[in-house]
Amino acid sequence: MHLFRFATSIYGDSDVVIGASWDLLPWFVAAGAVFIIGHAIAKAVVGARGRSD
Amino acid sequence: MSVSEASASDAPSSGRVERHLLIDRVYHWSTAAIVLALMGTAFLPILGWKFEWVSLHWMTGIALVLLILFHITRALAWQDWRVMMIDVGDVRDAWRRVARTFGGSAPPPGKPGKYNILQKLYHLAVAILVLSIVASGLLMLLKIDTPLWRRDPYWFAPETWGVIYSIHGLASMAMITLLMIHIYFPLRPDEWWLTRSMFRGWISSKEYLDHCDSSRWAASDGH
Repeated sequence: MHLFRFATSIYGDSDVVIGASWDLLPWFVAAGAVFIIGHAIAKAVVGARGRSD
Repeated sequence: MSVSEASASDAPSSGRVERHLLIDRVYHWSTAAIVLALMGTAFLPILGWKFEWVSLHWMTGIALVLLILFHITRALAWQDWRVMMIDVGDVRDAWRRVARTFGGSAPPPGKPGKYNILQKLYHLAVAILVLSIVASGLLMLLKIDTPLWRRDPYWFAPETWGVIYSIHGLASMAMITLLMIHIYFPLRPDEWWLTRSMFRGWISSKEYLDHCDSSRWAASDGH
């Protein structure tokens, strides 16, 4: 997996960055999902603990 | 009465506390529609939905720029921009909340003002990302022909264009993460009082007294 997209420079002797890699797209979606699931679990645990006190 | 001991006398007698004026709600929902349109025209082609997206994307982007200029002007000139700034009380209460969550013996955290620290941090993150996207997007307009200007891709060296495009892409993908979180919170039942206020503009006096510190956000019924 690459962080960036590359293209050959106009001189043909090197690669230049042309933008972010779209391979990262699922990772950003996954980060959102992890936060949401983690927060929901944490709130449920803290809520359950609060009710039992 | 201490500052944290809000009583019914702190809330308007109408039973309603104005939270978002109509103009701010129109701004919020307009921005939501524009951002979804921008994300659709940006990411659907990447996912394989082929359509002529460039014109739609840059024109919607210009609309977002205008909305952001409106928001910044309104926040600085007509609203109290300090309600969105993280203050000492926010940090103190966040620390107390974390300490108590993990079994510490910190004093009970106080109530926030109009916005809590997580909302302020979220706003800060969105502001950084959106301004990055808008700044890089405006520069990227130099690479396309429009009815208003002709393309001129020689403003920057190829390496610089790569940095500009990378910032635009990375910030846009990070916006997906923040958008998911932004949709999640209003769907949580414990946040419905805030969700309702973005539709009807007000919260009840009980919601105000339950969730807010009147010394940090003075109630008004808008009349």
